[in-house]
Formats: sequence, structure tokens, C-alpha cells
Amino acid sequence: MNAKYRRLFITIIIILTLGLATKLILMALEDNIVYFYTPNDLIEKFGDTKNIQNKIRIGGLVLESSIKKEGEKTIFMITDRKKEVKVVFKGPLPDLFREGQGIVAEGMFQNNNFIASEVLAKHDENYMPPEVADALKKNNVWKGASD
Amino acid sequence: MIPELGHILVIITFVISIMQCFYWLCNLRYTNIDVVRVLQKGSLINFLFIFLSFFILTYSFITSDFSLLIVSNNSHTLKPLIYKISGVWGNHEGSLLLWVLILSAFTFFVSFKDSINSKLLASIIGVQTIILSLFLAFILFTSNPFERVDELPLDGRGLNPLLQDPGLALHPPMLYIGYVGLSVSFSFAVAALITGEINKDWARQMRPWIAIAWSALTIGIALGSWWAYYELGWGGWWFWDPVENASFMPWLVATALLHCVSILEKKLIFINWTILLSILAFSFSLLGTFIVRSGLLTSVHAFASDPSRGVFILIILGISIGVPLILYTIKSSSFNEEKSNFDIFSKESAILVNNLFLTTATLTVLIGTLYPLFLDAINGNKVSIGPAYYNATFAPIMAPVVFLMAIAPFLNWKKYTDKNFIKKMIFLSAVTFLGGTLLYLIEEKSIFALICGSLSIWLFTGVITDLISKIREAKVKLQNIKQIFFFISKINLGIHVAHIGVAIFLAGVTGEQFYKSEYNVIKKVGDIINIGTKSLKFDKIENIDGPNYNSLMATFTLYENNKFISKLRPEKRFYTNQKSQTTEAAILSDFWGDTYLVLGEGDNKTGWSLRIYSNPLVSWIWAGAFFMAVGGILSVTQKSSRFRNV
Repeated sequence: MNAKYRRLFITIIIILTLGLATKLILMALEDNIVYFYTPNDLIEKFGDTKNIQNKIRIGGLVLESSIKKEGEKTIFMITDRKKEVKVVFKGPLPDLFREGQGIVAEGMFQNNNFIASEVLAKHDENYMPPEVADALKKNNVWKGASD
Repeated sequence: MIPELGHILVIITFVISIMQCFYWLCNLRYTNIDVVRVLQKGSLINFLFIFLSFFILTYSFITSDFSLLIVSNNSHTLKPLIYKISGVWGNHEGSLLLWVLILSAFTFFVSFKDSINSKLLASIIGVQTIILSLFLAFILFTSNPFERVDELPLDGRGLNPLLQDPGLALHPPMLYIGYVGLSVSFSFAVAALITGEINKDWARQMRPWIAIAWSALTIGIALGSWWAYYELGWGGWWFWDPVENASFMPWLVATALLHCVSILEKKLIFINWTILLSILAFSFSLLGTFIVRSGLLTSVHAFASDPSRGVFILIILGISIGVPLILYTIKSSSFNEEKSNFDIFSKESAILVNNLFLTTATLTVLIGTLYPLFLDAINGNKVSIGPAYYNATFAPIMAPVVFLMAIAPFLNWKKYTDKNFIKKMIFLSAVTFLGGTLLYLIEEKSIFALICGSLSIWLFTGVITDLISKIREAKVKLQNIKQIFFFISKINLGIHVAHIGVAIFLAGVTGEQFYKSEYNVIKKVGDIINIGTKSLKFDKIENIDGPNYNSLMATFTLYENNKFISKLRPEKRFYTNQKSQTTEAAILSDFWGDTYLVLGEGDNKTGWSLRIYSNPLVSWIWAGAFFMAVGGILSVTQKSSRFRNV
């Protein structure tokens, strides 16, 4: 094949692919980003949880003596020592889920209840998810060892 | 005193490697075989000294010398021997020493390749040694593994129990062999830019190193994924976690490079692109090394660490990526390419498209990994990007790659000559259509399940068809063993094996992603759980003592159609000296899939919460990766196909 046409052909393919990829990336970034909030941020920003339709992550500490079991469901409060959010989670919790532990819950709001699809906690008792640590530092309730 | 000897060895190696760099730079214009001989001796000494130093560190771990900071922080007398050893690289400082050890080993091996012309070889050793001295400086100034403690502790703090695992003991070394192996092709590329010398022999000499690095990286990533699958107890095998992406990006670029360099072995075209890819592959390796250890990215399973090393890391990245890229912009236009008129339907085109898609896919992963960091820096928004993003970007870009992977081997170099091409395509489409229909009839899932499964069938059929047609062409008689061996030595069997690996991998992905089922139940001892044709009987739950943990172990009996299959024993382990707890899933694997049982919280009165997954074909994922790696290794032993199809 003629070198000139080949170059044209290659250029067109490259532009098409990159264009398509950009489109895909932009669309995916718009739809699939999960924002992280602490309970206080969440209430400040949205006021009412009815306004939240997207999947989000909430991080903070598991409020002391807030853990309740209802069959397969576990209900507990996440706190940043300013505000609390009630979380409902179905299924086995991570190993280090306990009172006062820093955790991140991912899920959606339904009727003012946060239905978590995932609860993340680190398997090391000193570990704090970085977002949670930052948020707690901001609220001056950080008592971490590493700082 | 022994640890100090290890430290001194690192210092001496640092001095020698700096001297070597200057020696190389001063003799750049008059490189001859004598210069190479000196550099070879230097790299031999570097390798031996680092090896000794690493040995000393390992010895300190084995003998539990808690006067060393990293030993007391990461080891414990009660730990089994294998985890005392793997503890060496289970921390930042030790893992860097391992990195340097592998780098000095690669440098040593490549330096004695006298078949490379001496001008090029001197520069390759030179570039390798510069990287070596940068890392040695990093170790000496910020991350000394031989640092002593002020007060001798009674016992160590132990290794994070999650990391006490055979799969994970081997995961970092394999990953590092992959990362560091890519430094060799990087040095080939930079040496070509410095000396201006590039020819087909350059590509031929370089390819085996890429293949070795690629295979090791494949195994390393697979081990990490396997560990996550059975150890984390989440039932998943890939989470698109930044740490995973960090190892996946160099793999993608190395895959592109491995294909691209095979063109250059035959004809001097795409020189600049090959050089750029070589530089990029290693840049991603460096990024990967540092992302994991620097805590730069927030990640569910990142190691917490010290950000003060950041500046040093930026310097290393700047020198090892920036300088070559500047050299590249200056020198890349000076290479003379051969004239080549290849067809649109030729191997060259197919590999070009493969490269385009693989690099675009890398870009999507890179953006997904860095975007949260970027957004945080811009407006302080904390976001996370999960599998949904990658399913919407990475997957559609990789699907055409797999589609082409099946048919590209049918094509010939330069020209479209295969008269049977259409016939093969019809055959492939027919088999895939039948397979897809079967899949649809077995159980109707989403359209994506159908695409994923069909691609696997398409690729599998493609590779087999290609092999059969090659056997026919060569008129091999299957009774004649000598002829078979001759035939195998003539074709690139590695390619076929690696591509079959991808097909197996995709079958596993189809099963795991789309056909898996999950059950969450609360059951008491004596209860029976029914899952399809299988049933699980909850026999007992008891406390058991392990070597350095206490375990709460449940015992279940698995029946299929009322026939005894196996006992399953999920555990919760409490590691007393870390005050931490791990979940050990009970996994029963067979050819067709896994039964995966996780013990949750509970007590004997209200029952125990249990999570059960049925994961069809899941082990095919790692089997596929294993085939890919074997294919890569086979392609090393294979002589370059320069005698065929030229």
C-alpha cells in the first residue's frame, strides 16, 4: 500500500480510537465517581438526605454502643463526633469492625437510612482510612498514634 | 556487628556504582571492549556485594535480631521460618533492598552478553548503573534497612497477619522481577538514543528480557490477585484498587512493547515508537514501585508510610523518566527507518492496532487511578473510582484487542496472502455463534456476559485453528516425533500458549463476573443450607490454637445430591501479638468452580452469620495467567522467527 495512504489510514484510526476513549472516560467519570463525605459534611452540603440520589461513601467512627443486630441486618451509627448517620448493612462485617473503629461505608440513601452495600475497615487496629483521618483532624477529634 | 557489615556493603556498592557511571560517561566517545570489561567487573562486584548485604538482612530476620528497627517492627520469634524470610520484603526498607538486588542481578546478567556490540553494551550497563546508584542513594539517605533501635525490645511486633501467607510471600519478588526486568529494555532504548545505533539485532537482543520481565509480572499480579481472593474474604479477585492498577499499567505497556518489538526484529520500522514504549514501560514500573510504598494514593490495602521520602522519589522519577524523554525528543528524529509498504491486512497493521488499543487502555487505567488525587488537589473533593468506571472504559477498549488477537496470527507479514483467511473467519464465526447460543441457553445473563464468553470461545477457536492450519501447511506427520519437535521449534509456540492463556482467563472472568451467586444466611450448629444441588451441614464450631494465633473454626460438610463431597473449615483467627483478626475463608476448588465459605460474627444462641459464594470457573483466571507466563517464557527460548515469513 502506498505510504501516504497508509499514514492517513493510521492517523484516522488513532484519532477515532482516542476520541472514542475520551468520550468513554468522560462519560464514566461523570456517572461512576463515588464521593466521600463525613456525616457533618453530608448534612452541611445536602441538608436533607432525600436530596442524595447517587452512590456515596460515608466515613467516620462507629459510634459506641450503637451497633444493633436485626436478623441478617446490622444497624449502626457513623460519627465524626459532630453529626451521626444511621447505616444499615446486610451480611458479614469486616474483621476489625467494632465500636470506635474508623470505617468507610459505601451505599445509597433510602428513606433517610443509609443502605450500605459495602463496609470497609482496615485489618490493622491502628489504621484509619486516610479520608477519615483527615476529616477527624479537621474536627479536632483525632487521637491517632502516627501524628 | 554483622548488620553494620551489610550497611557498609551498601555504601561501598554505592561508591563503586557512582565511579562506574563516571567511568562510563568519560569514555562515552571512545567506547571499546576494554571499557566494557571494566564495567562488567563493576557490575559483578555490585551484584555480589548487594547479594551479601541482602543475605545479611535475611540472616538478621531469621535469627530475630531485634536490635534492627525493621526486624523488631516486622518480625516475631514465634513466626514460622518462611514468614521470617518473607518479612524481609514485607516492609518498605527491605523491599527496596530486594529491588536493588534484582536490579544488580539483571545488570550483571545483561553486562556479560558479549554478543551485543560493545558501544551499545557499555551504554546499557551505564544506564543500568545510574538507576542502581539512584536507588542506593534512596536506601542510604532515606530508607536504611540496617538502622538500629535505641532500646532493645523483648520481642518483635510481628508481621501483619494478613501478609503471613505463601502466595504473598512470593508476590513481591515476582512483581519486582517484572518491574526491574523492564529496566533492561529501558536501558536498551536509552543506550540506542545515546549511541544512535539501532538495528534488527538490537531488537533481537532486547526481546528476551522483555519476555522474562513480562512473564514475571504476569505471575506477580496473578499471585496478588489470588491472595486477595482467598485471604481477604470478599470473594473478589480484582478490585481496581490503585495498588493493583500500579502493577497492571506496566504490564499493559510491556504487553504492547513485546508485540511491537517483534516487528522491529524483521524490519526497521516503528523505531521511535518502540523506544518510547520501552521508556514508558519502565516509567510505569517506577511509578508502581513508589505508588505502593509511598502512600501517595489512598487505597483500601495500602501500607501506611512516611511521605517525607516524597521529594527523593520525585527526584528519582524526574531523572529516570525526564532525562530519557528529553533525549528522546532531541534524538528520535535522527533514526533512519526502512521503507516498508505493508498492507492494511498484515501482521504489522494488526500489531499497530494492538499497540494503539493497549496504550489507550493504559490511559484509561491511569486516569482512573490519578483522577481522585487530581480532584483532591483541585477542590478538596474526596472521591473514589471503582469497578464501574473500568467496566465502562477499560472493558470496551480491550474487547477489540481480544477480537483481533484471534485473527491477527492468521495474517502474514507485509502482505495479505492467506487464501484461506475468509474460510477461517467463517469457521470461527460459526463456532463462536454456536458457543454463544449454548451459553445463552445454559443460563440467560446480561449481554456483557454473552460478549465476554463469546470472546473467550472466539479466541480459543482462533488459536486452535491457527495451530492446525500451520500443522497442515508444514505437512507434519503426528507419528514422527522428530518432525513434531522440528515443527515446534519453527513456530512461535509461546504466542499460541500465551493467547490460549488469555482465552482461559476470559472464560474464568465470564464465570466469576456473571455466573456467580452469593448467599448471606444466619445458621446454628446442626442446620443445613441448600445451594442448588449442593447442601452444607453445619457440624460444629470450636476454638483451636495455631502457632501464633487462636482460631475460631467452624466445620461444615458439603454434600452434592446427598453424596459426601468434602469438609469445609472456615476460620476467624485472632493474632494475639498484633491484637488483630483475620478471616480465613474455606474454599473448595475444582475444575468447574469454587465453593467459598466465610464465617462471620455470631454466637451459638442466635446463630452465626455466614456468606457463601458459588464462583464458577474462577480458578481459570489464574490458570490463564499461568499459561500467559509460560507462553512468555517459551518465547524466550524460541529463536527469533527471522527465518520465516520475512
